[in-house]
Amino acid sequence: MMKLRQWKRTAAIGLSTVLAVTSLSGCRFGFASDPDDENDTVKEEPIDTSVDTFAYDESLQGTKITLLNSKAEIQVALEKMSKIFEEKAGVHIEVMPVTEGDSPYTKVVSMYNSGNAPTMAILDTTDVKALADEKALVLDGEDWVKEAGNYATEIQGHIFSMPLCVEGKGIIYNKKVIEETLGRNLNPDEINTLDGFKALLNEMRDAGMEKPVSLAKEDWSLGAHHLQYLYETYDGTSEGAAKAVEDLENGQLKVKDYQRVSQLLDLFDVLKEYNVAQGDPLGADYDEMAIDLVDGKTAFWFNGNWAWPNMQEAGAKSDDEYGFLPYFLNNDPDDFVNTKIQAAPSKQVMLDGQQASKEQQDAAKEFLNWIVFSEIGQQMLVKTCNLIPAFKNNPNEPLDPLSRDIFEKVQTDRTYNAAAVVPNDHWSVLGAAMQKYLADRCDREELMDAIQNYWDEQ
Amino acid sequence: MNTKRKGKDFCIFALPGLFCFLAVVIVPFLYGVYLTLTDWNGVSSVKNFVGLKNFAAMAKDAQFWSSLVLTFKYVIAVVVLVNVLAFLIAYLLTRGFKGQNFFRAGFFTPNLIGGIVLGYIWQFVFSRVFVSIGEATDWNLFEISWLSKPNTAFAAMVLVTVWQLSGYMILIYVAGFTGLDTEVMEAASIDGASGWKKMKNIILPLMMPSITICLFLTLSRAFMVYDVNLSLTGGAPYGSTEMAAMHVYEKAFTSRQFGTGQAEAIVLFLIVACISGIQVYITKKKEVAA
Repeated sequence: MMKLRQWKRTAAIGLSTVLAVTSLSGCRFGFASDPDDENDTVKEEPIDTSVDTFAYDESLQGTKITLLNSKAEIQVALEKMSKIFEEKAGVHIEVMPVTEGDSPYTKVVSMYNSGNAPTMAILDTTDVKALADEKALVLDGEDWVKEAGNYATEIQGHIFSMPLCVEGKGIIYNKKVIEETLGRNLNPDEINTLDGFKALLNEMRDAGMEKPVSLAKEDWSLGAHHLQYLYETYDGTSEGAAKAVEDLENGQLKVKDYQRVSQLLDLFDVLKEYNVAQGDPLGADYDEMAIDLVDGKTAFWFNGNWAWPNMQEAGAKSDDEYGFLPYFLNNDPDDFVNTKIQAAPSKQVMLDGQQASKEQQDAAKEFLNWIVFSEIGQQMLVKTCNLIPAFKNNPNEPLDPLSRDIFEKVQTDRTYNAAAVVPNDHWSVLGAAMQKYLADRCDREELMDAIQNYWDEQ
Repeated sequence: MNTKRKGKDFCIFALPGLFCFLAVVIVPFLYGVYLTLTDWNGVSSVKNFVGLKNFAAMAKDAQFWSSLVLTFKYVIAVVVLVNVLAFLIAYLLTRGFKGQNFFRAGFFTPNLIGGIVLGYIWQFVFSRVFVSIGEATDWNLFEISWLSKPNTAFAAMVLVTVWQLSGYMILIYVAGFTGLDTEVMEAASIDGASGWKKMKNIILPLMMPSITICLFLTLSRAFMVYDVNLSLTGGAPYGSTEMAAMHVYEKAFTSRQFGTGQAEAIVLFLIVACISGIQVYITKKKEVAA
């Protein structure tokens, strides 16, 4: 009897452990659609440390500073970078990740409020804008500003942050799959109108691939990445984007009169029509999209170069042929939107001007210049962190095909540098409106009203 | 002498706890109430007094009220289902059949998994496993992901919460059932009470202490649901499953309207405090001694 009871107890404990463990690991194997998974570390590339012409400030040796990192996928890389920097400059950098579920802004604000502000923080431009006035250090006279060109973001006439990298988005294509399906060569540059893109999709359909497009249902994709084209394509500059936002905010520009809105929906309708998850667009799974694109179930996926870790996990190799098509808005081949892709500096490094000491601020400034000017920093930004540099003096070419495509397009003037700074809940509120439209639970009219309402409330 | 002693005892035993309670609960709470009267944005060093402006903004926030209505529906569904289910299962698990300890452990397991992880697991189940079953069997119910339609997504939320919370409540009810005096039960049987009569007139009144605790726990947990909401639906589709706590967070940190968010949090607190207070008062009154 005793034995039996003991056996039962052991079995119960054993079973519950198995359940707990399998369910925990279920999450780790990538079913949770998290594009910034820390486990997606990039393949290591050797760094050549033999040449280093950077002039280090000896007086800063022994200084300790902190870096708040909101890009989870480069956490390990940043730690490596800070280690090398410490060896060279004698400055210790503690890299602190923003834990999952925490928003970077919430984190940095609570750190400020507890008197424990990070010396440097990697943030979005919107966040820098919110903090610039009271907390950030003015960086106008820094050496790297000259190299940044128009990638430096000015807020009220000053520079408060350094662009860490360039990120670009568009319609990702899998060249091999398209060519195999069509049985002919594809020259992506020949497609320069919405009709041209439609024709290609039709050809794919006729050749047997019924639904060649993956369309993410996530509100950040719909609300931030799709809809922000409205402002970014105003005239293809950040100033233009700011003007569009301002005019919408004060009512000078009405959503119904703004032709980019209907143009954007024209393209969106095409993407909807060929969406592989058309039967249940809101049930589409983000991780599955990467797998579908790599395996050739689809050939197009609207996304940005940050999708690479997911694609790599799905089996894509860095010498495969992936690239970006523009976000086609109309049939005018002379309209820049049909020939260029959007690529702009996205993550900004802001320095603390309130709680950090003079030495700490100088050490942080040195670190920023080290990334831009030292041979080691330049290499590590591209090879270790796998980022697209925002500085023209960096000779290192990115390693993955998506970043490489953007890098090449930047060099040949086939990108437009427009980043829109919109209210912080834009992605979630209008992302929800777009989800409704995606699932055909509202029409164009209602969606436009929702966008208009949003701007009226600002 | 006696009062002196009492004072000393109070200082030794109660003061440290009281201090911690004041420091981490009462003071932040009062400070939070104060913040609802200012225009503080979480960052700036100046806080201007704005009176009841934040409460006016809250009154106008239609999304908040609809999320509150949704939360009420959710609470009712969860409280009823969890307690009925847990009570019945606990009743069965104290009948003394073979393997009941195994089942007790099994039912409790979901409660060991954190809400966020649980949400992700079920997200996978709803949007992939169920859909695959639907594809294989042509069963309409599972044709598309439950998470892509407002009504089914709401049902999914309820289902997952019931699955998670029941185990915990089962444990409390099991403790209640095993604590029932066997003499009273025997006496009731000898007096001819059986089946439903025994349940209604003997067992239920004696189980009231457990019911009080379970109702209170499920009520407050369901009202304050956030983790499962965040990881299972994230408010999707199109914000239709955004519960009150999640809306408060979104208001404060995504829309960056700290004042309004804080005012909404206070209102939510008052609602939960009142309802659970009334519940405890009523069920306490029904408690009897054997």
